[in-house]
Amino acid sequence: MEILQVLAFGILMGGVYALLASGVTLIFGVLDVVNVAQGSFLVFSALFTWQVWDLFGLEPLLLVPVMGLVMGLLGWLIYRGLVIRVAPQGPGMTVLLMFGVAIAMEGVLNIVFGNKFKSVTPPYFTQSLQVGELVLPYPQLISGLLAIVVLGGIYAYLKFSWAGRALRASAQNKDGAALIGISATKSSSLAFGIGAMTAGVGGVLLAIMYPVYPATQYDWIARLLGIIVLGGMGSVPGAIVASMVLGISEAFASAYVPQWSSVFFYGVILVMLLFRPHGLLGEKTREDVAA
Amino acid sequence: MSFLKQPSKVIPLVFILLLVLYPIIGSDTRYEQSVLIVCLLYAIMASGWNIISGLAGYVSLGHSVYLYIGMYTGAILGKAWGIDPMYLMPVAGVMAGAVALVIGLIVLRTKSHSFVIMTIAVLLLVMLVAANWKSLTGGTDGFIVKQPPWNKDDPTTPYYYILLVLLLLTVALVAFVMRSRLGAGLVAIRNDEGKAASIGINTTLYKVTAYTLSAIPFGFAGAVYAQYLGFVTPSLTVAILMSVFIVLSALVGGRGTLWGPVLGGFLVTIANEGSTLLAGEFSARLLIMGVILILVVMFMPAGLLPTIQGAWKKRRTKAAAVAFIDQASIAQSHDASIAGIIARPGETTDATLPVLEVKGIVKRFGGVTAVNNVDMTVERGSITGLIGPNGSGKTTLFNCMTGTFRPDAGAVLLDGTDITRARVWTRAHDGLGRTFQITRLFKSMTVLDNLVAPLEKTSVSQMVAGRYAGDEVERAREVLDFMGLAQFEKQEAAALSFGQQKLVELAQVLMLRPSIILLDEPASGINPTLIEKLASVIRRLNEAGTTVLIVEHNIPLVLSLCDRVHVLSGGEILVSGTPDEIRNDPQVIEAYLGPDHLLEANDA
Repeated sequence: MEILQVLAFGILMGGVYALLASGVTLIFGVLDVVNVAQGSFLVFSALFTWQVWDLFGLEPLLLVPVMGLVMGLLGWLIYRGLVIRVAPQGPGMTVLLMFGVAIAMEGVLNIVFGNKFKSVTPPYFTQSLQVGELVLPYPQLISGLLAIVVLGGIYAYLKFSWAGRALRASAQNKDGAALIGISATKSSSLAFGIGAMTAGVGGVLLAIMYPVYPATQYDWIARLLGIIVLGGMGSVPGAIVASMVLGISEAFASAYVPQWSSVFFYGVILVMLLFRPHGLLGEKTREDVAA
Repeated sequence: MSFLKQPSKVIPLVFILLLVLYPIIGSDTRYEQSVLIVCLLYAIMASGWNIISGLAGYVSLGHSVYLYIGMYTGAILGKAWGIDPMYLMPVAGVMAGAVALVIGLIVLRTKSHSFVIMTIAVLLLVMLVAANWKSLTGGTDGFIVKQPPWNKDDPTTPYYYILLVLLLLTVALVAFVMRSRLGAGLVAIRNDEGKAASIGINTTLYKVTAYTLSAIPFGFAGAVYAQYLGFVTPSLTVAILMSVFIVLSALVGGRGTLWGPVLGGFLVTIANEGSTLLAGEFSARLLIMGVILILVVMFMPAGLLPTIQGAWKKRRTKAAAVAFIDQASIAQSHDASIAGIIARPGETTDATLPVLEVKGIVKRFGGVTAVNNVDMTVERGSITGLIGPNGSGKTTLFNCMTGTFRPDAGAVLLDGTDITRARVWTRAHDGLGRTFQITRLFKSMTVLDNLVAPLEKTSVSQMVAGRYAGDEVERAREVLDFMGLAQFEKQEAAALSFGQQKLVELAQVLMLRPSIILLDEPASGINPTLIEKLASVIRRLNEAGTTVLIVEHNIPLVLSLCDRVHVLSGGEILVSGTPDEIRNDPQVIEAYLGPDHLLEANDA
């Protein structure tokens, strides 16, 4: 029974990871940009949620669509204003650009919110749902389920809408897509917007689960990057599988060897990459034609 | 006094002199010296980082981990052995290098994107271990390091000089690497890793060596820095920011240059201190440094030094005329004794053995069998052609021979030796040279540098040898002369036309003294005159003893040039024979040439 309990925790956490990591991997798949600012987007959204909750006592979950939209718009702006100009210099430089964005954003958050932990504690914060012997705390349960629902929505959008198809076409072959009238700029802006949106939604969920302060962005960057490397860069299914693997293994590690649970997280990634350097679902790219 | 006219030598010398004299003549405030110590530290780290990330182009965002390894090695061993940590600099350097070697073997298996991320992951892993392994590191409470042995009145000046010496040693190391073949290989890897492997550069060895070398100065500096600080604490935030500032330093000054990272280390540290003073708080400093990083990436990605050097060069060379390039002279017969330059020395291979042989090669992509059980030989001394319609599996077969793909079944034999699973550079060492359909020269290098880049073997003595050591330059000139490319020697490869680039790429491959050259569509995208010249070069190379395999769509060229032609269709060999047999084979006409081909032949 205890194992089932830990497993449930792992899956719920894996769902939140999956939502956030999909955002990063989607941006990478379409633009070849490693968005290391996802962590700061996330913390931004979480602290904003805290502010609104603190001022008005508003139910934080109501902010999910709002923050999704706000961060989506911010992502779109960052792409149009900054990324698009640096993109021709290759992925090494865009990583550094996004690091600049992350650090500057952390600086802004430090000025506005101070370098202190903030917690959002709605009434259900300390309550749990009891299913048989299984105890599921509401914050984890709600966050995990909501993350999975939003992820499903994004998946459906990419799968069935025209814009989603265009975006997938761009991800596979930018020039080819451009030839048949798909604007790479539009697809890329959309991808960046959706990627940042996942951080907006995730930030609200994060706020009701954990205390947040600006520098927690580094933990999140590290975690998300670890996940997308393990899953295979640019592969959304890979990111989801890796999120679940890591969510579950982390839950077991924190249940049985709590001190080492974060170490375990990166250890798993390094060991797995020894055997699959391209990640779980990543593909070895064909080089002769890519040149 | 010609020396004084070289600003690239005078300015660093003046700079070093000022640094040496500063504690003697400078104002006597401890604050200024502490800032300079951090400047020196960043200059050392940015220079070390430059080896793997500037030269080889593998951007590491977690390099501060090696400073921490140096700090912990010095602190922990120093306490255990009762020695001052700074005396353990060499041990800490070796430790950082050893850890980098192990980690490099793992993370350098991934390509550049994943590499960036893995370096961050490694940093986090080490910091987490340090935070949790309380019995060894003191955990988050930190590890107290004993005070220095010298007098308390001026406790920082000795650190200043130790770090200054370390900086000079690090710059010397970088200069040595840049002038060596290792450095040339790293720049080749940065330009085009797959191409580098194809001309015999052991890319894995080179990258791991560069990564290891880049970590060693960090280890040395770490042992000193630990004692300077008096304690070591594992802070994830500090470590990541330090890594970012290291990258920013190299970027601001100019990555890939010798002095750029040093300059950048000073500028970034001063900017960082300045913004702390200006903003008063920790918070605004981050905002300022973040904005600086964004601005540098957007508006000065090459860095200060290259930008200044570029402007200087432009001013000086304004008057120099661009040499007129006479296309007609390309590949005119220069009667150089090419055989002597390109012949493989000391090989006693059985002359009856085929140079290249593939047996039962199968390659599948998902459900598609691109090459199905192909047997083929390339006889010694022949010009063999491989033709077939698009999608017939030519390129796949070619890639199995060159090592780009590993076949699902079957074997590839070079001079009778099984090379099916050999690495790309081993094949190049063993005498298999290849060109690319779309040329892959190192575009930012000169034609001559492109020609001296290939390596006939991998060895330590070669890695440390000078870039132009040995007879390579002389041989390269002779090969260029043979190809009629002598006047392009100093041109950047990117400045040449596509057809000229194809000739240069062939010349580059000749430097490997190949026993066989695989030409991937040599005639595609070049004009008919140049095709004729290319054909005459191929014939004369063949007369000099080189075996050639051509994959090509230009049928008249193949049929006129080759002794033997294999026709591939649907992943299988349809027919093999002499050009005449192929020309008249009904199956070939049906599958590939089309009935019009016969009509044309009759007209003629």
